Amino acid sequence: MPGFLKEFFNRNGTLMGSLMLGLVLFWTVGLIILPQLSMLDFSFRPNLPPPEIGGPKDVYTLENYKYLIYGPEGGSQDYNAVDLKVFFRTLVAAVCVTIFNLILCYPIAYYLGQTKGNHIRVFALMLIIPYWINEILRAFALRIIFGESGVLNTLLVGSGIFDTPFDFIRNDIALYAGLGYAYILLMIFPIYNVIESLDHNQIEAARDLGAPWWRIHKRVVIPYAKPGISSGCTMVFMLSAGALAAPQILGGPSSLWFTQLIYQQFNDNSDWPQGAAYAIVLLVTCILLVLAVMRLFKVNMGDIGK
Amino acid sequence: MSAGVGVDLENLWIRFGDFVAVRDANVHIKGGDFFSFLGPSGCGKTTILRAVSGFLEPSEGNVLIGGNNMKGIGPNKRPTALIFQNLALFPLMKVWENITFSMEIAGASARDRRKRADELLDMIALPGQGDKLPSELSGGQRQRVAIARALCAEPDVLLLDEPLSALDLKLRQHMRTELREIQKRVGITFIYITHDQGEALTMSDDIAVMRAGVIDQIADGKTIYNDPATAFAASFVGENNVFRGKVLEVRGDQALIRTNRSGDLLSRISTANQGKMNVGDDAMMFIRPEALSLAPTGTQGDHFVTAKVNHEEFEGNSFNIFMEGDGGKELKVAIPNHGQSFDDHSGQDMTLEYDVNNAVAVPAGELAAE
Amino acid sequence: MTTDKIIRVSIWVYLGIFFAYLLGPLIIMSVTAFNSPSFPRMTPWECLTFNWFGELFRDERILNGIWNSILVGFGTVILSVSMGLAGALMLTQIWPKLRATYYTIIIAPILIPGVVIGISTLVFWDRINRMLGLGADSFLSNGLFLTIIGQSTFIASYCMLVLVARLQRYDIALTEAALDLGATHAQAFRKVLMPFMMPALLSASVLAFLASFENYNTTTFTFGEYPTLTIELAQKVRYGITPAISALAFMIVALTVFFALINEANIKRKKMIADARKDATVGELAGKIEVPGIISRNPAAIALIVLVIGVVSVTASAMAYSPDQCIANVQEQKRLETEKRIQELRDRRAKEAAEKAAAEGAEGGATQTAPKPSNNSGFGGVFAPNTLNNEGADEGASDEGADGTSNNSGFGNVFAPNSLGTDDN
Repeated sequence: MPGFLKEFFNRNGTLMGSLMLGLVLFWTVGLIILPQLSMLDFSFRPNLPPPEIGGPKDVYTLENYKYLIYGPEGGSQDYNAVDLKVFFRTLVAAVCVTIFNLILCYPIAYYLGQTKGNHIRVFALMLIIPYWINEILRAFALRIIFGESGVLNTLLVGSGIFDTPFDFIRNDIALYAGLGYAYILLMIFPIYNVIESLDHNQIEAARDLGAPWWRIHKRVVIPYAKPGISSGCTMVFMLSAGALAAPQILGGPSSLWFTQLIYQQFNDNSDWPQGAAYAIVLLVTCILLVLAVMRLFKVNMGDIGK
Repeated sequence: MSAGVGVDLENLWIRFGDFVAVRDANVHIKGGDFFSFLGPSGCGKTTILRAVSGFLEPSEGNVLIGGNNMKGIGPNKRPTALIFQNLALFPLMKVWENITFSMEIAGASARDRRKRADELLDMIALPGQGDKLPSELSGGQRQRVAIARALCAEPDVLLLDEPLSALDLKLRQHMRTELREIQKRVGITFIYITHDQGEALTMSDDIAVMRAGVIDQIADGKTIYNDPATAFAASFVGENNVFRGKVLEVRGDQALIRTNRSGDLLSRISTANQGKMNVGDDAMMFIRPEALSLAPTGTQGDHFVTAKVNHEEFEGNSFNIFMEGDGGKELKVAIPNHGQSFDDHSGQDMTLEYDVNNAVAVPAGELAAE
Repeated sequence: MTTDKIIRVSIWVYLGIFFAYLLGPLIIMSVTAFNSPSFPRMTPWECLTFNWFGELFRDERILNGIWNSILVGFGTVILSVSMGLAGALMLTQIWPKLRATYYTIIIAPILIPGVVIGISTLVFWDRINRMLGLGADSFLSNGLFLTIIGQSTFIASYCMLVLVARLQRYDIALTEAALDLGATHAQAFRKVLMPFMMPALLSASVLAFLASFENYNTTTFTFGEYPTLTIELAQKVRYGITPAISALAFMIVALTVFFALINEANIKRKKMIADARKDATVGELAGKIEVPGIISRNPAAIALIVLVIGVVSVTASAMAYSPDQCIANVQEQKRLETEKRIQELRDRRAKEAAEKAAAEGAEGGATQTAPKPSNNSGFGGVFAPNTLNNEGADEGASDEGADGTSNNSGFGNVFAPNSLGTDDN
């Protein structure tokens, strides 16, 4: 038995040590690493009926990835314009949602982090409560509001701002509001955690030296809160790019989200390898994008989740 | 009072990767002794303690408790109890539950445990405090609860890892006496880890002085103070003035040393080094501040030192004179205060005298950091 | 200073807008559960009704979904909290060189889209299943198993984060002290580490359960023959929304607020006990500590009691109250309005017909009235009111692109008098 394993069991006891090691291995290898690798492998295989799996036709192929770019073989178009458009639209919209959330949440996080008092506890509770309520129901609530005869339209038409109800759903406004709504907490908490640990004296000192409020934020608060900001942005971006419930409920009939394409490949077309390939593309693109932005802003992976 | 159970370390090596924490330690601790490991932080004394208590497996060598080899025996099976540096009282258990945790493990009834806890609380002078939480006690009280918890396990050997370091000075001095009394009362072997030579000297039967994983000297406190075996032991235990030089002449148990800046001085060779110091060897000579006294200025001789006074201070029980010393270090002289008058001599040369028996020569070696 | 005042006011305005955005949808949704129209809406207010709750509890699929969600939730809590704890403990003692890599691996599931986790779980266990030569109905392709496994993959990461935060404040010397006093590793774990971790374990469990309960993205690929509540809800919401869903949402909101208040009251109470202990004498400690009543000086507890009283009185009045009369009134009113409009339409048509007849008469052609296409007679009456009402009036039952056929509130008998069309001819 290697030395470090022996030390591990000495420190934790044989029973507790094996239990711990077993659980960690099951989680990391059995639930995280192997399934991802398995999906990667799957995405390079053709879609075959079960009896033919493992047979002579079961060879590695780039077909599934080509499909995303070129569309079905012998198709009328040179490129798979529909899917590609959905893909880029998803990424751009996710970035927009992230930026919107950051702008919305930073002042709140700053206020909560730098203010003392009992009402902060109440605010925190009010922040958390919506997140204990089902994701579907949150989207449903927004649909009630943004519907053609929903609260918002009744209000707008009733007050005479609009003549006819505005179709928020078809114009994707409901979708963006819903995605923004869904991940507010994930943006606020990391920023709040960091700003809370910022010594208020630093801000006082900057103010004392005559810095205007925007400069205090630019030079003192934001550099300090950078790990929290990047953590929040990463989570919001990844989650909105990977969202499925909100687009299904709040998305217009003609505008799809990339995850919906994946869902269709799996559930409607029963083409698992194709769905796996799309999932890989989504995952890899998102990770690369996040890593690139992190490098741009010089943030470490270790800051995520703090 | 039982004879107690002895502890032996045989050729003990402990390595962490490439780093040697303990190098070939050989120690015999007599049953019922109060034994201290004294050394600066990072010298490996806590590592030894963890090897005795079973949290560390030695890389080489053996730990014997009561003559039994402890190899492969876990900490929960050894007849030792450890008092941690930060005490490690269980924060969510009440004081009485803390004290009788070992009985709970053994399956004793709550009633028996309560009874035993009350006995021990009386012993540590905290009667009726059993229902408090550790966080509701003062530092000294927590200290005593930790001792009671360890004693409740009825160990053959009690190990203490700098347990007083978190206390303030007054309480620390009080707890020294108390610890020593408890040890005498229960009669078991105490192994005590400290970097505070005052604690080691006042409490211990025997002391091991450690430096960088090596044990320099094992002896009782008086011997270590008066007759140190190494330059490190001489400089670490108590204040000492050092004179560097080379051995010029060996006269039986005395040596004449040509010092770098104070001429030829005569000194006793420390017991451990007699017969081992030869003419021409690098040597160090140590004289304690209180062993120096004033002599008529300009007196010459092999037990007179002349140097310039840097500054002086009054400490209450003594006048301290700081003079230009060897190797950038100041030479300190402590003159006992008998109410005599005392003039300021700053900037002047003064001559000091010492008794050759109070000066001790050892081979040159590493000094303790200030 | 006036600028200070402006800043303060704008902060409060901003907070107001923000929390309106955050809480407004939930409040509106809750209110729609008590309004009688079959499309969930707050305005116009028609009749106070509790019927949507009854409808909810008659829905077999929703009830079955709740049961499945609870099954999945418990499985996920057990698996993900234990994996999270093991992962957190491992993080504290793993080789420093491996630490960063290990942390990246166990934190990654939080960032991997839920859809991807669902797919990879499905694909991986399907493959294992085939490798072992098991059939399509084996344990490994069971929806319950796959959903628990899939959800735990990332929920364990959340648990790990919660547990690590507490574990960092744990002094490993406490475990060592327990071992030193004779405890086995398992005993030290159970008697010392577990009690210390208990608050964090509880929060991790609650977090895991809630995350599992509301998960959709992963579950939608793995649920198999065990659709959870979220899956059922999504199906319903996608194909038409009814206030019964609002009723469910209201109940969840009420439960959430209820537990949040219990938690707050509890925290406050513990603090008061700790304060009382600090001032207590030794004798009092041995006996029982006099704790001030839970209500005094505890706003959360007061709010809790108010909430409970509110729920009880609403439930009681719901038992006694029947909205039938009101609904009938509203229907009657609508019927009259509709009839009036139909009458207008009829008049207009009659007028047109007369003009047409006059024109034809003038042409000197055949004076026979042309028979209208037969379909006009059947649907004309149904759709006519809708075309009339496109200014957004309250009868627009079939907007939202949802199903116009699910008019279970009695619109049918208003709009479907088939005789209308024939009368028209």
